[in-house]
Amino acid sequence: MAATYSVRAARPRSNGLGALALRTPYYVLTGGLAIIFLFPLFWAGIRSVSPQAGTAQNHGWGMGNYDTLTHYQAGIWQYVLNSVIVSGLTVLFTLAISLLGGYAFARFTFPGKNVLFMLTLAILMVPYATLLIPLYVLLDRIGLQNSLVGLALVLTMFQLPFATFMMRISFESVPRELEEAALVDGCGTVKALLRVLVPSVRPGLVTVGLFAFLAAWNDFITPLVLISDSAKLPLPVAIANLRAQVMGVIDYGATEAGVVVLALPCIVLFILLQRQYVRGFMSGALKG
Amino acid sequence: MITKRSRSQRRRHSLVALVAVAAVSLAACSSGSGGKGQTVAQGGINGTDDGASLTLWTRAPLELQANLLVKAYNAAHKNQVKLTIVPNDDYVSKVGAAAGSGGLPDLFASDIVYAPNWVRAGLWQDLTSQISKLPFAGQINKGHLDAGTYQGKQYVLPFVLDLSVMMWNKTLYKEAGLDPDKGPTTLADFVKQAKAIQAQHKPGVYGTYFGGNCGGCDVFTWFPMIWASGQEVLSSDGTRSLLDSAAAKQVYSAWKDLWSAGAVDPASKDETGATWVGPFQQGKIGVMPYPASLLPTVNKTVDAGVAAIPGVDGGASTFVGGDGIGVSKDSKHEAQAWNFLAWLMSADAQVNVLAANDSIVSRGDLANNQYAVKDPRVVAINKVAASPDSKTPIAVDFQQAFNAPGSPWVTLLRDQVFNGKDNLSQDNSAINSVLSQ
Amino acid sequence: MTQPVTPRRRLGLSGRRRLTGWAYATPTAAFVFVFFVLPLLLVTQMSVSDWGLFNGDQGINAPHNFSAAVGQRLFWPAVRFTVEYTVVTTVILIGCALGLALLVQESTRWTGFLRTAILVPSALGLASASLLFYALYSPDSGPLGRVMRDLGITSGPVSFLGTPGHALWSTVALIVWRYAGFYMLLLLVALQGISADVYEAAEIDGAGRWKRFGHITLPLIRPTLALCTILCVTGSLLAFDQFYILTKGGPDNSTLTIVQLIYNAAFQGRNDLGLAAALSIIVLVALLVLNIGQFRWLRGRED
Repeated sequence: MAATYSVRAARPRSNGLGALALRTPYYVLTGGLAIIFLFPLFWAGIRSVSPQAGTAQNHGWGMGNYDTLTHYQAGIWQYVLNSVIVSGLTVLFTLAISLLGGYAFARFTFPGKNVLFMLTLAILMVPYATLLIPLYVLLDRIGLQNSLVGLALVLTMFQLPFATFMMRISFESVPRELEEAALVDGCGTVKALLRVLVPSVRPGLVTVGLFAFLAAWNDFITPLVLISDSAKLPLPVAIANLRAQVMGVIDYGATEAGVVVLALPCIVLFILLQRQYVRGFMSGALKG
Repeated sequence: MITKRSRSQRRRHSLVALVAVAAVSLAACSSGSGGKGQTVAQGGINGTDDGASLTLWTRAPLELQANLLVKAYNAAHKNQVKLTIVPNDDYVSKVGAAAGSGGLPDLFASDIVYAPNWVRAGLWQDLTSQISKLPFAGQINKGHLDAGTYQGKQYVLPFVLDLSVMMWNKTLYKEAGLDPDKGPTTLADFVKQAKAIQAQHKPGVYGTYFGGNCGGCDVFTWFPMIWASGQEVLSSDGTRSLLDSAAAKQVYSAWKDLWSAGAVDPASKDETGATWVGPFQQGKIGVMPYPASLLPTVNKTVDAGVAAIPGVDGGASTFVGGDGIGVSKDSKHEAQAWNFLAWLMSADAQVNVLAANDSIVSRGDLANNQYAVKDPRVVAINKVAASPDSKTPIAVDFQQAFNAPGSPWVTLLRDQVFNGKDNLSQDNSAINSVLSQ
Repeated sequence: MTQPVTPRRRLGLSGRRRLTGWAYATPTAAFVFVFFVLPLLLVTQMSVSDWGLFNGDQGINAPHNFSAAVGQRLFWPAVRFTVEYTVVTTVILIGCALGLALLVQESTRWTGFLRTAILVPSALGLASASLLFYALYSPDSGPLGRVMRDLGITSGPVSFLGTPGHALWSTVALIVWRYAGFYMLLLLVALQGISADVYEAAEIDGAGRWKRFGHITLPLIRPTLALCTILCVTGSLLAFDQFYILTKGGPDNSTLTIVQLIYNAAFQGRNDLGLAAALSIIVLVALLVLNIGQFRWLRGRED
């Protein structure tokens, strides 16, 4: 059911210079579009190391802005660590829960199965903001306020609909014979799951993990509400705060450097895992 | 087969248990609520200095003084203070979110105009007995103390005083043929001098500047103009706005006049306060009401003249603003936090750190310290701070009515200066409805 | 090798399977219950209680929170702006995405590169993209103002975020840059689903390019267009990050969205969680009605 990222060849076009002349406006237009889409990122990267007045890097090229980041409050490495912890925990929880849940929905029948699945998907219908206010109070009551673990749990919940759906269709696309063979050999469902099914749904797992990581790494409003200790802030909120440290001056150079730090892992992951990335979007489409 | 299955099940169960234990212990490491440390008074009049690690939050506008104070304290004490600077616009929400979940730092400062609200909400601990033990208690800035007083108990001490003064660029004045040693003494004077600078048509230079989208900036700079004219801006209980008075109308029309004459930097229109002090430091502005706490920074780039803010027909006033500081309700190191506060009010901190860096002292008995008398501008600032027309307005919903982004006060001043809408009574009642909540 | 099972054994087997199924579904159920159902119930309770940020639950005060929420000075302006922003963004974003999808339909190396280039911004988080554009739009260090002056489009300093109109369009530009790739991908899949025979048949019948587009392409991709619309509308109605970072609701509260209202009510001075909860419930109901309506319409169209 998962669509592949392939494109049908277009109808054959005429060859020759005439065709090229006709195609030039196309190349110019699309080239311009490519430039428009890629320009901001390149600009940020270049500006973060180029000389700018009002930043730590006023003369010549260099890493002065990144230096500002390391000296800002708890230091950029602390915030990177916070983001890594939160994202890592979110991926862990999401994979674990959606793996088990997807398996349950795909392979078993039990009372309340449809209700639970619908309820899980219903999370998509409820806006973030509606849940954050009570979650703020709820986490306080169970002692997880202002903690990275609490934040990761909330982010996992927001990932559950997509992750469970993804794992369910992944499991459903694995032929039953594979599993039944393992069960007949006397393995319990756990072993069947671990040894046989998990390798088969690995692409789905990678997609779910990738999306969970990106969502957790980039989330802004949730840590804004749930984390108050500035040493525990993840990267996006920390960078947003660092803009106005001194009254009267906004350090744009440091902001650009911060954007580079934020964006780099995402872009790297995107380029490495483009296939899984696209597959994830497709499943979203097919869900409709 | 059976043994293999239960072994894998057992492994799975123990893994789950391990994760659960880890999660619970990690949760336990997060900050809990409620201060169950020593009480504030336990360390005696000077508090306890035993190497504790204290956390302190303050807003960006006062980062210069905050950094100086924290550095000086850390160098001379076993306790170490960790300072967090928060952007001005985010401060209220950050403190609010932390307070709601028991995550406030040991010490936190607040714009003195928020203090009544937060004192009422119980965010600080009672310091009355400690303050009364200080020998110079009667000399501490009364405006700040009063703002932090509720039902007879005092919760807040002055952290860094910030006063608004009229500052002008002496170089630009000389070029425009104005007397560089004399600033405006009336409102009309101010308008005239700003227009004179503008008439020079120097590229990139403008007569004056203000925060067109910054409620806090304009409260700080325009209220003294009204006070110096002998009128009030709020009723005594802080529930009614008097910003439609005759003097207020004169102030609005003065700024409107300047704007229509092009004597105001066009960037003022969008200025949310994030950069409202920048252009003067860059030498691009002739004369503007400005925070006195930034005099040390301004001195690095501009030859500045300083005088009190005048009213319609003269007079002198200032907005006694800045931040107050207290020990938070969630602190577990109250006695150590008091040690910092006691040091903060001592002559050592006030004179050798604040005054030595051209900042204003919070104690009346130290106003004529050795550093102040060296710079006649600082003497002038200290003098106006003691003037009876210099005030700190007190209202519980001050922040919502005036400082919050998009507050009714901002609507009022924008209507008056930019939009040419004469909705004064309407805009003023909007302020009233917020104040009387 | 399957073994014959007696009916009694089958019953036991299915019963155990039911239990095993539940065992695997338990983590999901626990999570959904604790972090979704409980908060939903809690927010409903909060919306009818006097619940301050500092002093907590003070008892029921229905329907005061709701009347206060709707009666706020900024409620209707925020609703109006959110709707305006949603309409503008959806039309422009889906339109651009469709155009891009049509441009990159072929399977050449060039279009492969194009597709990646257009999709790269989708890798960024919305907050990161907003911070990036915050620097891009800065009056001092942003390049766009200079470029526009050089091209002669404007004279004098350009304020991207300084006026209500500019702030809106600047934000829309950010959103289009960030999300065009995602929607382009969805529409691309839909376009590929149209078999070439249909086009050839139409061409033989003498239909011109635009006729083919209007009568064949559009109707056949309608389900995906509808899905894109639903996603875009929902996302735009709940906009927060970009406005918090770029404009904080200014200038003059002209870019204040509903979610910003909720955040401000809870933490920006009003400190009233009950009010914020009431606003959240209003948003939730509005969205539910909208989504159900859209789904019904979509299903109706598919017939």
